[in-house]
Amino acid sequence: MSGLVATLKRICLERDGRLGLAFTCLILVFALVGPLVSPDPNAIDIKARFAPPGVTHLLGTDNLGRDLMARTSVGTRYALTLAVMIVVISSVIGSLIGIVAGIAGGWVDRAVTAVFDIVNAFPPLILAFALIALYGKGSATFVLLVTVVFIPQFGRMARARAQTLRNLSFIEAERMLAVHPVTIVVRHYLPNVAGPIIVLASMNLPVVIAFEASLSFLGFGVQPPKSSLGTLIKDGFISINQSWWPTVAAALVLAIATLGATLLGEALRRVIDPKSAGVR
Amino acid sequence: MTDAISISNAQLRFGETAALDGVSLAIPQGTCFGIVGESGSGKTTLMRAVLGLQKLDQGEIRILGNPLVHSRAALKQRASFIQPIFQDPAASLSPRSRIRTLMNEVGTVLREPHAAMHERLRVILDRLGLPPGVIDKYPHEISGGQARRVAIARALLMKPSILIADEPTAGLDVSVQGDLLNLLQDIRRSDSITLVVISHNLAIVRLIAENAVVMRAGKVVEGGEVGSLFKSPREAYTRELLAAWPGVTQSGVSG
Repeated sequence: MSGLVATLKRICLERDGRLGLAFTCLILVFALVGPLVSPDPNAIDIKARFAPPGVTHLLGTDNLGRDLMARTSVGTRYALTLAVMIVVISSVIGSLIGIVAGIAGGWVDRAVTAVFDIVNAFPPLILAFALIALYGKGSATFVLLVTVVFIPQFGRMARARAQTLRNLSFIEAERMLAVHPVTIVVRHYLPNVAGPIIVLASMNLPVVIAFEASLSFLGFGVQPPKSSLGTLIKDGFISINQSWWPTVAAALVLAIATLGATLLGEALRRVIDPKSAGVR
Repeated sequence: MTDAISISNAQLRFGETAALDGVSLAIPQGTCFGIVGESGSGKTTLMRAVLGLQKLDQGEIRILGNPLVHSRAALKQRASFIQPIFQDPAASLSPRSRIRTLMNEVGTVLREPHAAMHERLRVILDRLGLPPGVIDKYPHEISGGQARRVAIARALLMKPSILIADEPTAGLDVSVQGDLLNLLQDIRRSDSITLVVISHNLAIVRLIAENAVVMRAGKVVEGGEVGSLFKSPREAYTRELLAAWPGVTQSGVSG
C-alpha cells in the first residue's frame, strides 16, 4: 500500500502525471457515478429527440430521445471494463508464456516467438474482421480478439526480461537449491517482470479503449441497443446535420479517457521504469 | 576413497574462444582445494560446469563418483551434496524476497518440518555471527559481509558435503576477509566438507587450501600441494602470478 501511495506521489510531482491522473479520475467518476444519477440509457422518448444539452438532459438526447449523459456514461463504463479486463487477461497470459519461453529457450522459445510474429503480422483490424467472421459479433468475440492481439506485446517483454533474469546469480542459486521451477517462476521471475509489464499494461489501456470504439464505430463491436463510445459517435455522425452534440459528447469523453490513460501510463513508466522512459 | 570432484578432459568453447581446454583434475574428499588464475582463465566456467549450470562440449565430471547429469532429478539429488557460494552473494539472493522466505525454500526442498529447519537455521546463523533478525530483512537491507554469510548459511542449510566458493572474499575489507576465511576453515573441518576455493587472490589460496591448480586460458598449467606449488613453481606462468602478488612469498604469506 505504501508503495502505491509513493508511486502516486511521484506521479503527482510532474505536470503530465497530474493531468493524466485528473483526467483518469474524472472518467472513472463519470463511468461509475453517471449511470446512477442518469435515467435509463435505453428509455426512448421520441418527443424529446435531438434535445440540446440542458437541465433535463445534461448532454442532450439522440435521435430516439435517449439521454446521452446516461448512454455516454454507460458506454464509458463498458469501454473501461473491457479495457481493464483485456489488459489484465492478456498481460497475465502473455507474461506467463513469455517467461516460459525465456526460461526454456531452444525450440519452445522459437515456437512461441514464431506464433507472436504470426499474430503481429496481421494488422489488428484485419485480424478483427477475420475473427468476427469466424465467431460472430459480440463482447466475448471482442475480448478474445483484442486479448489475442495484445498477448504478444506482453509476451515479448516478459520473454526478454526472463532471458536476462535466467542468467542472474539469484536465479541460478534457486536452481542450485533444486527449488521447484513453478516456485522459481512465481516467487522470483514474476515479481521482477511485473514492473515493466504494469507500465506496458497502463500504456495499452488507451489503445484498447480506442480499438473498442473503432470496432463499435464500424459496427463490429457493441450491438444495439447497448451503447458504446464508438456507436454513439457513429449514431451521432449519421444525424450530425440535426444535432452535433451526440458526436461531440462521445468523442470528448473518448479523447479525455485515452489522453488521461496515455499521460498516466507515460508518467507511470517514468516512475517505475525510468531507464526505458526515453525509449519510444 | 572416491574423489569429491573428478574432472577429465573438460572442453568448452564459446565461439572461437576455448573457455575450458582439456581440464582434468581430482579433488579429494574433505580437503580444501584452490583454483587460481587471472581473470578469464576459466575458473568460474569450470565451477559452473561442475555445478551443472554449464554443459561441457566434451569430457566428464563426476561428483562423489556419480557422473554429472543434466536432468531435474539429478539436479535435485546433486543439490543435497554440492552447493555454491557465488562471487557476488548479494546478487545471489532474490532481491524481492525476505531472507526468511529464501531460507524456508530450503526447508521445502528438503521436506523438513518448519520448526526443525528453523532450529538448524538458528544454530547456523549463530555460528556465522549473524543476528536472528537478519532473516526478516530484504537482501538490500544488509551489508555485503552479511549477505555473504547469509549465502553461506543458505548453502549450509542444505547440509552439503561439497562447498564451492567463487572469490569468497571479493569486495570485503581485510579484517572481514580474515574472519570469513577462518569461518570457512572451521566449517570445513567441523562438518567434514570439501571446500573448493576459486580465486585470483593467491594469498587466500596459499592460506586456506591444501592443494591447488593454476589455470590459464582454459587449461590447468600446474597443480599440486600448495606449499610446494608456491615454493617451487615449475611453470613460468605460475612464477609470474606469484611475482604479481608481492604479499605471497615463496615461503608463505606476508603482510
